Amino acid sequence: MSDLLEIKDLVIRFDTEDGSVHAVNGIDLHIGSGETLGLVGETGAGKTTTALGILRLVPDSGKICAGSISYKNVDILKMSDKNILDIRGNEISMIFQDPMTALNPVMTISAQVMEVIERHQACTRGEARARMIEILGKVGIRPERVDEYPHQFSGGMKQRVVIAIALACNPKLLLADEPTTALDVTIQAQVMRMINDLKKEFGTSMILITHDLGIVAKSCDSVAIMYAGEIVEFGSLEDIFDRTSHPYTKGLFASMPRLDVETERLMPIAGLMPDPMELPLGCKFHPRCPHRMEICTTDNPQGTEVNYGHLVKCHLHTTKNGDMD
Amino acid sequence: MHNNHIVEAKELCKYFKTPHGQLHAVDGLSFQIAEHTVLGVVGESGCGKSTLGRMLAGLHEVTSGSLYFEGQDVTNPSRKAKKSLYRRRQMIFQDPSSSLDPRQCVSDLIAEPMNVMKLYKGRRERDARVEELMDIVGLAKRYAFSYPHELDGGRRQRIGIARALACDPKFIVCDEPVSALDVSIQAQILNLLQDLQYEKGLTYMFITHDLSVVKHISDEILVMYLGCEMEHATSIELFEKPLHPYTKGLLSAIPIPSIHTNREEFIMSGEVASPINPNSGCRFASRCIFADEPCYSESPEVIEVLPRHFCACHFAREVNGM
Repeated sequence: MSDLLEIKDLVIRFDTEDGSVHAVNGIDLHIGSGETLGLVGETGAGKTTTALGILRLVPDSGKICAGSISYKNVDILKMSDKNILDIRGNEISMIFQDPMTALNPVMTISAQVMEVIERHQACTRGEARARMIEILGKVGIRPERVDEYPHQFSGGMKQRVVIAIALACNPKLLLADEPTTALDVTIQAQVMRMINDLKKEFGTSMILITHDLGIVAKSCDSVAIMYAGEIVEFGSLEDIFDRTSHPYTKGLFASMPRLDVETERLMPIAGLMPDPMELPLGCKFHPRCPHRMEICTTDNPQGTEVNYGHLVKCHLHTTKNGDMD
Repeated sequence: MHNNHIVEAKELCKYFKTPHGQLHAVDGLSFQIAEHTVLGVVGESGCGKSTLGRMLAGLHEVTSGSLYFEGQDVTNPSRKAKKSLYRRRQMIFQDPSSSLDPRQCVSDLIAEPMNVMKLYKGRRERDARVEELMDIVGLAKRYAFSYPHELDGGRRQRIGIARALACDPKFIVCDEPVSALDVSIQAQILNLLQDLQYEKGLTYMFITHDLSVVKHISDEILVMYLGCEMEHATSIELFEKPLHPYTKGLLSAIPIPSIHTNREEFIMSGEVASPINPNSGCRFASRCIFADEPCYSESPEVIEVLPRHFCACHFAREVNGM
């Protein structure tokens, strides 16, 4: 396979005093060179934990229990700590959600960008500084402002700095965790356009974590819909938007008020996201599913390929094709 | 004055003093809200929409201009008048986790406004009323003695709504009531707010930055930028025929969840300027692609460009080929 990153059966758990939190429950994902994968889901679906897992940054209370994450055919989970340090921020880097907390308030932005460059590239201070000015220029920050502190920048500008830090070493894979959620729409449009342009320029692959299907429609090649730590539907943009198959994905579309379609009344998904400490038996979505069947309460459905490359984890589709196992 | 206008604002202003000068949070807004309708207020962060909402709910004093509520001048009411006004106008706050006292349980939280207004006699009446309110907003009875931290964001927002409804108000300012919630929960709360409006004949001022939400819930929409009105029209008209360059940019910035839209893209450059000691011209001029000489020196008047469609732009007609 020519996939840049391949995740197989990844399981991440957090052990707490009250029991274990099942954050990620056996997910499979793959992403090719130059591709953008949208990882969509609501709060607590396990999107961020998955991204942190890829960088082996899961906090101490968490544990990667099973699975493999192969990057360029090497399993990240089996790498030595030294090797992962060389990859983190260099080959794979992350854009964090909240630019207000992702930056160090007592370091100038130039120092924060140069820190990454000097760690990963053999270069003199002068070269690192030149590179820093170049990359900050690419995200639209003028050279005369690089020695300022984060509080002197607006939210949108801070997010540009975070993006510059992520791109400083020309990574092969970018993990963008809700990069525009904290920003206003007009600034969001500017930042998304910039990310997409830079991604094209450098040929970077990207995993874009978001809850906004509008952003997915504009920027992604393939989409994974996550629910309670599982990927319930995976496919191309056309598969997800035009051949929506999983009841949860359908529910997401029906919950959104839209600019392009007139809706008198929204059709919310009933109930709430399950507590990741007490996940329901069988299909995780069954307590909220309008198409619930007997089997859904006992057996967790396997992923079924309803179309080439379009995977759905739902008994409605397994029984239809008659290949239950 | 019209009888069916529940709220009327004339040249409403709110300035704050800061060490760097005067912050013009709301600068000369005039509008009316008809009874049983929803006025949506949209704009980016810092445009003064929350300040406007707080003035209408009586939580901020008015710097200048005048405000009428049910025909009565409420610009700067006396203490006593203020209290009785709170029975008729209420507010739902944005962040249900910081607007609820963490040390009060659900039933105390919901009873608090009624307690302040002395709306019940005795424990039994209080509990019956709390139960009724919990039922109205869709909170199961078993949560009566839970604390806010034990509940999810959607349920917490339901407590906020129950508190606002406790005094049977006529008018509610909803300040971003769904922006902290996930889409599936957001839809539940939006439906609840719509049902309540219909059943109780409420009037809302609905403040949000999300244009899809505002389109869904509002009858009329006011678009704000740096404390000033940019455009005001019915919801249908505004989305079909936006006149102001800012509204157009705002609409085009919203990603649409469909892969079949071929919209003309128009990304606004720059960022919102500072509201402290603003220039005399049009507030939007620095980001506007149509800006010309008068825009930088003269502040545009709000004019009725089309019937019941107001726009504050020197070139409203030219830009739209009228």
